[in-house]
Amino acid sequence: MIIKKKVITKKKVMKTFVKSVWVFNWFNSCGFTEILPVVSSRWDMERFGLVAVNSPRKADALFIAGYQTHKSMKRAQQIYEQMPNPKFVFALGSCTMTGGMYWDSYNTVKRIEDYVPVFMYIPGCPPRPEAIFDAVHKVIVHVDELPDE
Amino acid sequence: MSTMSDDSKNSLLEEKLIKNLNTKLGVSINFQKERRLWTSIDSDKIVDICTKAYEMGFEHLSTISVTDWLEEGKHELVYHLWSYSHKVLLTIKTKIDRKNPNISSINSIWGANAETCERECHELFGVKFEGNPNLTPLFLEDWEGPPPFLKDFNWREYVKEETYDQNNPREKVYFEVKK
Repeated sequence: MIIKKKVITKKKVMKTFVKSVWVFNWFNSCGFTEILPVVSSRWDMERFGLVAVNSPRKADALFIAGYQTHKSMKRAQQIYEQMPNPKFVFALGSCTMTGGMYWDSYNTVKRIEDYVPVFMYIPGCPPRPEAIFDAVHKVIVHVDELPDE
Repeated sequence: MSTMSDDSKNSLLEEKLIKNLNTKLGVSINFQKERRLWTSIDSDKIVDICTKAYEMGFEHLSTISVTDWLEEGKHELVYHLWSYSHKVLLTIKTKIDRKNPNISSINSIWGANAETCERECHELFGVKFEGNPNLTPLFLEDWEGPPPFLKDFNWREYVKEETYDQNNPREKVYFEVKK
């Protein structure tokens, strides 16, 4: 009888951990108020297993929205470091991509990928709730598409 | 009718207060409008006058603000003091030299409250408050440029030079924006 050796692959590990995506929010300024409909009953993110958690240590994904200053970005990095692997960073809205309407301000971060590794940018000012659900679904698709080797 | 009598009563009270302040502080108080008094003083008297005003019931320091008068070569510091007993806002204005912006700290009277206001003025205008032990940046961590609220600092050009690359086709458009 041949005993098949169990191989641990990245895909298998990711499949175990990434099921429903729990989210920790790091929002500045209007970022919070604009994403609030995603949580509330109209779009209700909990029906897709998306839960806003109260500690980065429980989170799979980090949502960053609103314009970030150099001071707030340091705190975002601390949050990112506390999150367990596998972790995904979503940058929401145009402010995180280019600085948005604060593109020529002296104290805003222009490109967030210079500070934390971004999994996905979601454009929009603010992004539609549907776009956020679609982006989070892509995490699961991403895990499915990983090569099993 | 009752409101009118109240107004006249209030103005009488304020007149008394102005006279009192004039004699005790040794400054000329201007009546701007109802419940608004202001005075201009020399910058070296600031601690002395603030102490006396505190003793007269102006216990609350609302804020300290700075105006940059570029042509005049001066920074104008404005201290807003509120009195809970008189219900009057006393504004103390003082001017300091723009090239040598030093003034004594009022943290002996208002403590940490004044220190936070002074930290903000220090980082945005570069005003040095002598006697304030903690003038570290409040908002602008890792800032290397000049104080950003100075009138002669063109921060739009500064940001373009520091953050954007004119040869990058994606960022070229930023240099075409005219403001």
